[in-house]
Parts: sequence; structure tokens; C-alpha cells
Amino acid sequence: MAEIEMTTESTVYVTYIRSTPQKVWAALTSSEFTTQFFFGHSVESDWKTGSPWLLRKPDGAVNVKGVIRESDPPRKLAISWNLVGPKELQDLPESIVTYELEMVGDDVVRLTMTEAHPTPIPANLLEGGRRGWPMILCGLKSLLETGKPLNIPKPQPPKEK
Amino acid sequence: MSGTKFVYVIFIRTTPEKLWDALTKPEFTRDCWCGCWQDSTWKPGASWKLMIPDGRVGDSGEIIEIDMPRRLVLKWRNEFMPELKAEGYTRCTYEIEPAGSAVKLTVTHEIDLPESKFIDSVSKGWPNILSSLKSLLETGQSIEETRRWPEGW
Repeated sequence: MAEIEMTTESTVYVTYIRSTPQKVWAALTSSEFTTQFFFGHSVESDWKTGSPWLLRKPDGAVNVKGVIRESDPPRKLAISWNLVGPKELQDLPESIVTYELEMVGDDVVRLTMTEAHPTPIPANLLEGGRRGWPMILCGLKSLLETGKPLNIPKPQPPKEK
Repeated sequence: MSGTKFVYVIFIRTTPEKLWDALTKPEFTRDCWCGCWQDSTWKPGASWKLMIPDGRVGDSGEIIEIDMPRRLVLKWRNEFMPELKAEGYTRCTYEIEPAGSAVKLTVTHEIDLPESKFIDSVSKGWPNILSSLKSLLETGQSIEETRRWPEGW
């Protein structure tokens, strides 16, 4: 079997959204919005530091679970990220996803998403995230600015190389 | 490989043709690229300049490859900041692909130099400019901060 390349690289995506930090926060944390930009997924949590959170697929199956590491609405949300699903993914170390929201000017929010990997993960999984995040966050921007979701094809799940 | 590279992907509800116009025509770039416009005939080998609203040349280079509305590769050097100009030429590639009812734009800006200050600088600028371009194409209104040249620069 070929050796799997491992990495601790982070993924960072920055987008500027004509909105308010409160609205961007609400969009990231309510299923009413996430189902429209996060590949149809819903979220569950009280979003308090220390609480659990879940990301559910459209069919209701849990896709990601984790714990709220830091919650400072509407400025910063850091959550641990454990993929649920195929057995080989369940053995992966957790990632940390952090959203930072800052006002820029009068009516624009700079949203910075950082996916960090304290423990090495397979490089193809990192690539999967790098394909997915721009789709998700561009959809969020379109939804908040135009009221309409962005219709783009879903990425394929990561495959073993 | 000891180079520095910045990659930014953005999905925009538009057509490849409209996105191409927005990336190259002054009436769009003035609105979302800090008041700047580009001076070029857009032919392979032609010179290319990014003009600052006050008349200074911000960056210059040439068209390495052009395939409208799919791909544009520029040779690109900063002109107005000596520290960045000293790093020499970078390469910027725009790739445009349809994605459902949207268009995927990938901007790759790179140089054969480790820890490039130029790439660090553009990696802060591109998300702002391209987010504004997306707002402009989807809502008719760019992001206000990107409509004029920042004071003191």
C-alpha cells in the first residue's frame, strides 16, 4: 500500500460580505440559513463555549460533530471538527475551524475562516476542504447580499490516492 | 520548490464573458479595484499596466497567455513600492470555468522566491478586490472600500 502523505497545513479563506456581524453570525449558526449554503446541511448547538455541536446531512445523518471551543458572538466562533461516517475517517484527529468576523467600514463584514490541523491529516482531506470552503462561503455571501442561494455543484467526497 | 504562491477561488453568479469584462475593463475595475484601470491591448506579448487613479503606474508586465473568456496569464511586477519592485516579476493566472449557474474563478499569484513580500501583500488585497467584484456582478454594487485608492498609498 502506498504511503499516505500527511500535513498540518491550515486552510484560510477570507471574504468580504455586505452585511452585519450579527447577520453573518446568525447565518453560520442557524439551519434556516446553513441549509441554503452548506450543501443542504443543518446545524445543531446552543453555540455556548463547551457545548457540543453537530452538522447533519440533508438525510439527517450526522456528518460532523465537535465541541464549541470559543464563542464570542458576533466576533469569533471556534469549533472542533470531527468527521463522522466511513470508519477510516472516524479515526482521524480533529480539526479546529474558526470563524472571525470584523466590521470593515460602515456596512461590510470581513469573515475569516481558518481550518487548522493540530495533528497531521492526510493531504487529500486537506484538498477536499480547500475545494469545499470557497463554495460554502461564496454561497453564504450571495445568500446574505442577494437573498438567493448560489447554485453550484457539490464537490465529490475525498478519495484515497 | 522554494517559491511563494497565493491561490484564491471564488464562485460568482454570472457568465464567463461578464466576468472577463469585469476583470479587464476600466468601467468595472475602477469600481472594485481601488479606482485602478489596466492599460493593455490584451494581445499575447502585449505590455500590461495597472494604473493608479492619480496617474502613477502601480504595476507593470505583459500578457503571457490570453484565451478569452477562459484563461489569462500575466507577467507582473510592482512599480510603486521599491521593496516589492526589487523582488522582480511574478506570474498571475486567472482561470474561469462554469460551475452550475455560477462561474468559478481561480486566481493564482506566484513568484520563484521564498517568503515573498509581494505575494504576502497581494494575498491581503485579492480577497477584498474579488469579493467586491462578486458583489458588483451579483448586486450591481461593489464594496465601498474598494471604489477608491486608499489615502496615503
